[in-house]
Amino acid sequence: MNEGSSTAPASASSSTYMLVPILLLFLLLIIAVLRSPNLISPAGIGSAVIVLTPLALATYALMALAIAGRGTVDLSIGPLMGFINVTLVVLSGMGALESPVSFFLYAIAVGVAYQLLMALIIVYVRVQPIIVALSGYLALSGINLVILPRPGGTAPEWMSSWGLGTTLDSPILVILVLSTAAWLVFTSTAFYGHLRLMGSDERAAYTSGVRITIVRLGAHCIAGVFAALAALTYTALIGSGDPTQGTTYTLIAVTALVLGGTSLAGGRGGVIGSLLGAVNLFLIGYVLATFSFGAVQGFVTDLAYGLILVLSLLLTVAIPWLQRRITNISPTIIFIVLSTLFAGVILHAKFDYSLPAPPAAVSDAAAPPPAVPDAVAATGFFFEEVNASHDASSTLAQPIALSLLLAIALLIVARAMVLQTRQRRFSPRMVYILISLLILAAYLAWDNSHMPPSLAVTPVSPPVPAAPAPVEAATPVDAPAEVPADAASQPEATPPAKEGT
Amino acid sequence: MSNAPKTLYTRLSALQWVGLILAILIAGLGFILGIVQKVVLQELIFYTAATFALVIWTWNAYVAPHAKFGAEDSGDGPSGFALARAFVYRHRILIIALLVILGIFLIASATVTGFFNWLNIVTFLVLCALLVFTVQVSQLFVDNRSAFIGLMVLITMFTVGSIFIEGFSSGQNIKSMLLFAAFLGLACVGQTLVALLGGLDLSIPFVIGASNVFLLYLIGLGMYSWVAILIVLLLGALIGWLNGMLSYRLQGQALILTLGIGFAVSGLTQIVTSIGSAFAGNVFGVVPSWLKNLAAMNGTTIGLSIPPVILIWAVVAIVLVYGMKNTVYGRYLYALGGNRTSAARLSISERRYWVIAYMVSGTVAALTGVLLLGWSGGGFIGVGQPYLFMTLAAVVMGGTSLLGGQGGYGFTVIGVLVLQVLTSFLVGMGLKFEWQQFIFGLLILPMVALYARSPHIRTQI
Repeated sequence: MNEGSSTAPASASSSTYMLVPILLLFLLLIIAVLRSPNLISPAGIGSAVIVLTPLALATYALMALAIAGRGTVDLSIGPLMGFINVTLVVLSGMGALESPVSFFLYAIAVGVAYQLLMALIIVYVRVQPIIVALSGYLALSGINLVILPRPGGTAPEWMSSWGLGTTLDSPILVILVLSTAAWLVFTSTAFYGHLRLMGSDERAAYTSGVRITIVRLGAHCIAGVFAALAALTYTALIGSGDPTQGTTYTLIAVTALVLGGTSLAGGRGGVIGSLLGAVNLFLIGYVLATFSFGAVQGFVTDLAYGLILVLSLLLTVAIPWLQRRITNISPTIIFIVLSTLFAGVILHAKFDYSLPAPPAAVSDAAAPPPAVPDAVAATGFFFEEVNASHDASSTLAQPIALSLLLAIALLIVARAMVLQTRQRRFSPRMVYILISLLILAAYLAWDNSHMPPSLAVTPVSPPVPAAPAPVEAATPVDAPAEVPADAASQPEATPPAKEGT
Repeated sequence: MSNAPKTLYTRLSALQWVGLILAILIAGLGFILGIVQKVVLQELIFYTAATFALVIWTWNAYVAPHAKFGAEDSGDGPSGFALARAFVYRHRILIIALLVILGIFLIASATVTGFFNWLNIVTFLVLCALLVFTVQVSQLFVDNRSAFIGLMVLITMFTVGSIFIEGFSSGQNIKSMLLFAAFLGLACVGQTLVALLGGLDLSIPFVIGASNVFLLYLIGLGMYSWVAILIVLLLGALIGWLNGMLSYRLQGQALILTLGIGFAVSGLTQIVTSIGSAFAGNVFGVVPSWLKNLAAMNGTTIGLSIPPVILIWAVVAIVLVYGMKNTVYGRYLYALGGNRTSAARLSISERRYWVIAYMVSGTVAALTGVLLLGWSGGGFIGVGQPYLFMTLAAVVMGGTSLLGGQGGYGFTVIGVLVLQVLTSFLVGMGLKFEWQQFIFGLLILPMVALYARSPHIRTQI
């Protein structure tokens, strides 16, 4: 990392590696939305969050360890999740664990204890981490089958109800957001700087007085917490115990880790990249599921996972080259541009062109092609329609106003970002903007989940996600609002990391 | 130090004597067992000679040359108490281990009724004796301690297994152990070569599964079986080439890259074989009988009732062990694994060796898939799955460093045998697959900790 900041101008971004996952994310998102617009609806996003949270948290755990260096790839993450899952189900079946607090305490205690043990072996017995992980993998996947020979048992009711995925505001989302935020806060501590230093050059860290033993133990503790949360959300997702999912989760989480741009050599990686990697992986499966391959569906998924993994690895080779060529493009800006484009795609995919208003409005607006899948064209197009004060279009007023607000906010953010590139610290103004964006997004998400019933009074249709135009037209806005809000918070969070080294 | 050569000479010959006695003991034991089991005399003599030669050769190749003519004890002994303390400290590992065994034995005798019988006492004594022998002799080694310890573990487990499990040392059981060891051993060939360079190949299980299914598919299309096998082997080499080229380009990412290629290969194979078939993922065909004979339990090689796959494995092992020591390719492979910068100074093309190692890996994995088809008689894509981490475990247990440059196929053979004997011991004890896996997992760590500890960071500055 040091080469980047010393030779290139100050504006060169140290997180160029994020470009690949971001590009892939939007490519997949656009395909997914065009293939199946239902993804962008409270239920769609809600269930997506439920499915991808265990994967994302498992990837976080791997990421924390990968940053610590020595080629640590914790292959045992899947079996560890399985172990916590299985013991949780069995213990709650016996009545030993009941309240959510005890669940969380138990899971985190087990996760941290296991990871600490692993760290102690790595530090004091001085065996290569991959061998410790391998040994843990075999031992845990064996003992899982002993504890619960076949999938079964039930999670307590309060936990299974998390995994329904019908609305956005599930506790699972809270867990995901909190863990992401916790890591982002953690990146501003000195400990994080030590961690990265140790990961990229352990000898340098040791000679400069970093207590590498403590740092490594700490990294494993963090990974243990993430693994425990992953296991909890996984239990909520499947609502029962399953001892056999270990291998799958290990392989998928490692794939997501690499897709997210984390270096397995240590020292580089972040929670945003890992989240993007997990989302990408989820989307690959989602997109493939929209094509029907019949009986070979699973095989096609395997093939696609493998190919995308290899390709994204190959793309990382191009990163040094990119870093030399592109000095002034920050991934954040790319993210914002792409999310605007994506918002246009959503509007295009969601809007029902067969509804009465369009023909007249088109002639008024004098927009050259009637169906431009572009944000600007679409916004202007709707605005005309609102002015025409069509009865049905009054429902559109709110989305339009919000998207305008959003566009302005995005402009401000973009401006601030450009300024930001000259600075080394996160400016307070940026923090305000980010917080207000997040609040806006939260408001939209909350509002949206309660809006359909009130809207449903005027239009014909019930408030199901698959309903026709008006309700549908109201929903897309929450998606663009959400995505850019994340967009603003995501890649920007990485630059301060430079201070660590 | 003027008399160093002499000490070296005497110690070495003493070690060779130990090896000779060991070989006679083992071969004699086998001979007596054979007579008890009424094996045909010609075969018995053949097996005894083979065992004897194998033990002598292993001993001389791996153990004797690496013996360390230990540090001379300084003669000026202080008082008796200090001497005793020094003795205890020097042998602390042995003493702790003996105490642990004794403790377990005493606790078990006190709690489990009927545990205190002559069988268990004999086992206890044998364990203690082997432990003392192992620890004492292994202190003489600098390198290759792992091979020796592996051998000793092998002997220990075999002894304990024969005492406890009826028919453990029967010819039939040994044959079946060797048969499964042959599959695992072949699957490990590539992993060993690649590990010597400092890489990893996790695509092996997927290639095994894919070649297994694809061969049956080709045979089902009506192709001559040998043509089909050739095609499958070539495809295996092609996958290996791809692995090699890509993972050379992406240094340090071999683990994840080969995993990705593996996913892609197994997916692609299943798509190809499912085209035009009503049963996706299932392939039907008749395995030719010669292929079945090659890998079946009751297969015969020119009259001898040994499954040919064991002989194939033996040949591969000998070629590899000999070749790695005596050919340019083998020496350069070690050179590259040891220190790539200095190897590059010798103008050794790193890429070429890297790619060739991966190609060998792909080809042998495909061969394993072919042989497994002969064994099972039906194609199954998941046939390689148990080998995903088993190959790594065998390589690591044998003592090949995953960082490259140390170890060899001979070590892997020991690792494979240890794993296999342990498996059949556990099966014989009535433990299920999950317990086996659990115990494997717990065993890998101490095995590796015995010899593959990395130096402390403060020594690397």
